[in-house]
Amino acid sequence: MAKQGGIYKIQGLRQRWIIYQVLEDMLYSLYAALYLGALVYYLWSTNLVYGLITFPIVFAILLSINRPWQMTDEKIAAFLNKEYPELQESSQLLLLPVDELNPLQVIASSKTASVLTDLKISHKPFAKRLITAFFFLIIATGLIWGLGKIFHIERVFFGPNRPVAVCAPGTMDMAEKVLPQISSVEITVTPPAYTGNAKRVQDKFNLSAEEGGAVSWIIKTNIAVKKITIQFIKNGEIALQSNKKHTEWHASTQINKPGFYQVSIDGKLSDYYYIQMVKDVAPVIHIKSPKQYTYIDAGEAQKVTINATLNDDYGIAASTIIATVAKGRGEGVKFKEYMLSFAEVFDAHKPKYDLQKLINLPTLDMQPGDELYFYVQAQDTHKQLSRTDVYIVSIQDTAELLSMNGVLSGVNVKPEFFRSERQIIIDAGQLLKDKDSISVEKFNARSNDLGIDQKLLRLRYGKFLGEEGEDAIGAPNNDPANPADFSNAAKILKEYTDDHDNAEDAGFFEPNIKAQLKATLTEMWKAELQLRLYKPQAALPFAYKALRLLKDLQQKSRSYVAKTAYNPAPLKPGKRLSGELDKIIQPINKQEIKAPADQLEVLKNAVNVLEGLKSNPALKQADNRTLRIANQELSVRASAQPGVYLSALNAMRRILLVPKANLADVNTVERALQKALRALKAMPSSQGTSADMGLSKQYYKNLQQANR
Amino acid sequence: MQANWTYLVIALCIVLALGFVWQEYRRANKRYVWLRMLAVLIAIASLACITLPIAYHDSVTKSDEHKSILLTDGFDVDSIKSTDTNLVTTEAAIKKAYPKAKLINGLDELNKTDKLHIYGYGLRADELAQLNSLPFVFHHAKAPSGINNVNWNGHLKAGEALQVQGTYNNPSAQKVKLILSGLNTGLDSVMLPPNAQTEFDLSTIPKTTGKVVFNLRADTALQGSIPVQISPVKPLKVLMLSASPDFESKFLKNWLTENGYSVVLRSVISKGKFNIEYINIAQFSLDKLSTQTLNKFDLVIGDLSVLNGLTPAGSGALKQAVADNGLGIIVRADSMTKRSWLQTQFLVNRPEGKEPEPALLIINGKKSAGKLVYGPAHIVYQNGTQPLIKTAQEKVLASSAIFGSGKVVFTTLNNTFSWMLSGNKQDYMMLWSILINKAARKDDTNESQIEFISPPYKGEPSQLKVAQGKAAPITINNKIIASIQNPNVPFEYSAQYWPKAAGWQILQGKNGYAFANNDWRPVQAANKLSATEKYAKSHEISGIVTKQIQQKVRIDVPKIYFYILLLAACTFLWVATKFS
Repeated sequence: MAKQGGIYKIQGLRQRWIIYQVLEDMLYSLYAALYLGALVYYLWSTNLVYGLITFPIVFAILLSINRPWQMTDEKIAAFLNKEYPELQESSQLLLLPVDELNPLQVIASSKTASVLTDLKISHKPFAKRLITAFFFLIIATGLIWGLGKIFHIERVFFGPNRPVAVCAPGTMDMAEKVLPQISSVEITVTPPAYTGNAKRVQDKFNLSAEEGGAVSWIIKTNIAVKKITIQFIKNGEIALQSNKKHTEWHASTQINKPGFYQVSIDGKLSDYYYIQMVKDVAPVIHIKSPKQYTYIDAGEAQKVTINATLNDDYGIAASTIIATVAKGRGEGVKFKEYMLSFAEVFDAHKPKYDLQKLINLPTLDMQPGDELYFYVQAQDTHKQLSRTDVYIVSIQDTAELLSMNGVLSGVNVKPEFFRSERQIIIDAGQLLKDKDSISVEKFNARSNDLGIDQKLLRLRYGKFLGEEGEDAIGAPNNDPANPADFSNAAKILKEYTDDHDNAEDAGFFEPNIKAQLKATLTEMWKAELQLRLYKPQAALPFAYKALRLLKDLQQKSRSYVAKTAYNPAPLKPGKRLSGELDKIIQPINKQEIKAPADQLEVLKNAVNVLEGLKSNPALKQADNRTLRIANQELSVRASAQPGVYLSALNAMRRILLVPKANLADVNTVERALQKALRALKAMPSSQGTSADMGLSKQYYKNLQQANR
Repeated sequence: MQANWTYLVIALCIVLALGFVWQEYRRANKRYVWLRMLAVLIAIASLACITLPIAYHDSVTKSDEHKSILLTDGFDVDSIKSTDTNLVTTEAAIKKAYPKAKLINGLDELNKTDKLHIYGYGLRADELAQLNSLPFVFHHAKAPSGINNVNWNGHLKAGEALQVQGTYNNPSAQKVKLILSGLNTGLDSVMLPPNAQTEFDLSTIPKTTGKVVFNLRADTALQGSIPVQISPVKPLKVLMLSASPDFESKFLKNWLTENGYSVVLRSVISKGKFNIEYINIAQFSLDKLSTQTLNKFDLVIGDLSVLNGLTPAGSGALKQAVADNGLGIIVRADSMTKRSWLQTQFLVNRPEGKEPEPALLIINGKKSAGKLVYGPAHIVYQNGTQPLIKTAQEKVLASSAIFGSGKVVFTTLNNTFSWMLSGNKQDYMMLWSILINKAARKDDTNESQIEFISPPYKGEPSQLKVAQGKAAPITINNKIIASIQNPNVPFEYSAQYWPKAAGWQILQGKNGYAFANNDWRPVQAANKLSATEKYAKSHEISGIVTKQIQQKVRIDVPKIYFYILLLAACTFLWVATKFS
């Protein structure tokens, strides 16, 4: 039995060794994670996830390097032999199976086992490295804490650009001064239902609540008091209800305004505590596509995909698309309204939705020339509605484009040579209609023919831009040379040079007309390409665009001035041009313009009073009034920016209450006033004279006379 | 015994020397033998000298006169010899720090027959006056560290900048941060280099009116308080005569009136017909300009063509009002057809050619923020005029000159309103503020002026100089104090005043400030130094011959020299052994 115990002891020691090793690795990886996490936290982002990731990775690496489980019982036994001579170098015997031992070994092993069971094996050799690791960890923690707290490493690296949440000095967490009667306070903030937030309990008087949230105070006092009220600045007060012993008081109210309150116990007022109100923001809608104004050219798919992102701080309850279709033009325009909904269901009230809606325009009964106006509106859980701007989608009116109004009397087109762009479009449409009834070869041939027509048209318009015709360059001239042209440099040059950019050919167009003409040619190129590839369907949009640009060009060259009627008043020729002004009255204008009342005047007066208090701390009656008015002004500012002005408000109250003002309070208020005041405007004024009985004036007068 | 001891030591040393020299002589290695012998001898000689008291006799001169030493603030303890006796001081703090000094109650207790030496920063001017021209030797201390010179503009108009200038002596090896603070807020600061006397210049625009005490701190140590009075701007009364209802007049009128100034704007709309606007002022007839009318105003702003086209009576009235009554006039040059008294000082040059590009203007030495089209015309500089607005090419666009007791400001600018249109209010305000400030009639409501010859400190006398038009007793804090009228300048009075408490005082119905005693300590010390030095220079000691006595004294030779010799000799011996 004793021998068994010995084996167990050795195995136990092995267990202990492994545990210590694992623990040590764990500490080291914690150490690494702490350092890396701290570095990332201070220098890069406030996210702690890097530290959290580092820990398991380093732990795994260390374990795989150290492999503490590879420790064998034999090694432990060897270690015991070395450390404890009383084992007489025989602890390995305990590990051998009993039946393999010779009698001498049995004796030795049983002896060793008994010694071993009594032996107290120190933890020290096992835990030595563990302790070092532990020390490292403690130092690292201290160092990291010190870097953040004492040396403010983040300020060294970031300056003031750090997000507010990280760097902002804890003005809001200033220590609260509580009335001595209060032993504890429990404030429950119940957020309104629309937020979906759970209610929370706090033991600080300064509180922040969502708009419309309910707040209830439970104040416990250490002695029985008669009355506790909560006084809201400018919002009245509420009295607290008490239990029978008058030591536990409670009240509740709803928060609809930010501001401050004071707790009054038997007429004694506490410090100011702030109430911050978190307002619910209306949902924000962002439409990624389509653009504000979308124009669908003829031949393009008459479809619009609405891609929108909705954001809200708590949750979105509903969202719809309000679409209006305008048909017709001029007097005969008709509107029809549709309510379209997104496929998404808004039951989950998530704060963010990515929505998509495909609108097939023909399903809304839209035809070429019609326009679709739509906007997206969304409602959040607080029933706040917001909507986007109106987006417009219009389909090109092909009928108008193809009409010959105003063109008939235009350029004398030679139809036998050229097909116009309009004809190409009509032919391409016909070709598409005939596609099913004709052979592929015929279809391709007709498409190619149309491409040739398109090319001819392009070349014709290209002439206007001074582009050379296809026949101009490189075409061999087989005519016999005219002997008269011998050594005619002009003729030879003409043969071998380009004469584009020739002013005679180019026509006198304005640069923007030229640019538009170029754009037209580009569209024609593209249309031709598609026709030559036997894709008349794909060529149509380009052809339409080219036609539209051409039409615009035609319209540009025309101007129209409407005739207007004008009936001048009848003149009395006798009165005119006489030059008599005696009956004309001189205009006289009299005004009193008051300089705008200075709202900061009360604060400026307060500064003077406070400056006086520095030398003489007793407050006079008149000064008291000045400070009271300034206090009101300050409290208005404090409700807007409690972090800046709250401490000054408290200090001002102390100055007003105590007979002798405290210099520290005066300084606090002055600092806030300096912040509140604006720099004075520099206005011109007259310079003062010296009180010299008019001596200098006389001097200057005489100087002038002497200079004469 | 002493003699025996000496002989004993000498004998012993000779024996030792002989023994060692014999040893050296017998040494097998003969390298450096003579040097080694010399080193041995030196070592033994210096050993003997250490043991024996070595001294020599010399004669020193000593003056045996009677002298008394007055210690003042800032004296260096090391500068006083231990033999000096008869040390006195008037300051309890010095007595505490240096108990050897005798505390006296006043300078009259000083022994007038003794020769007086003064150590430290010296005495104040009023204390020096008590010495009754008694000459003394001044051992001045080092310049005090801190601000030893400071000045600021103590009377400001609303919107003006407070400027604090001075010098700071920083003998330490650290940089010093000098902070100007007011209303418990740091407003301006400057870093001062170590080991240097540096000039500094701090400024801030106060945000309030009234009496405010600013502070100057070096790091955290309070140097002193800066009392400042800021008076609100008194709106002026302006008469504007315009040749046509133009934008320039309209914008100027709007800007002035919305700040509470009184403006009468008369613009010609036809021949002999005017459009007249009375703003913030009672209506009166403006058909002809008279001296009475003009005396109602502080300033006339007019187009040159209007001013030149005045009736002879009107022109004469204007000239008289400017020359005799100090009325200011700003002339906007719009034509150059006629020459009048307004143009004598200002010659306008209008070069032909292209109109210059819009450019930044230099308004009273400061560059404007926005550009302005200033037109081709500019004023040719003449002696007796002061350019106010210039271009970067030194072309004068506005200039001022004295005309009698008034001022004439002449400008060729007539589209400054374009600054206002483009929202550049700052430049517009700066430009017109300069022009109006320069020209406006001087405010002569000021009845008295008080000037301190030296800054007043609590409990110390300070000299006041009061200038007042009418003979009235001078009161401070509602108490009449004795004053002396200057026999040559009848409006000047001088008086002496001892402030009882630090802080604001009422001086002749105005405010003055008395500093606390620990305010501006280095400044006070520097003032004392210069006053005492000046006094010492003007009352130099002469005719007193110092009697000198020759006295023989025994002077011990310091042992350290012999120790060094011994060490050197032994070192040589040791090193020589190593090398040989």
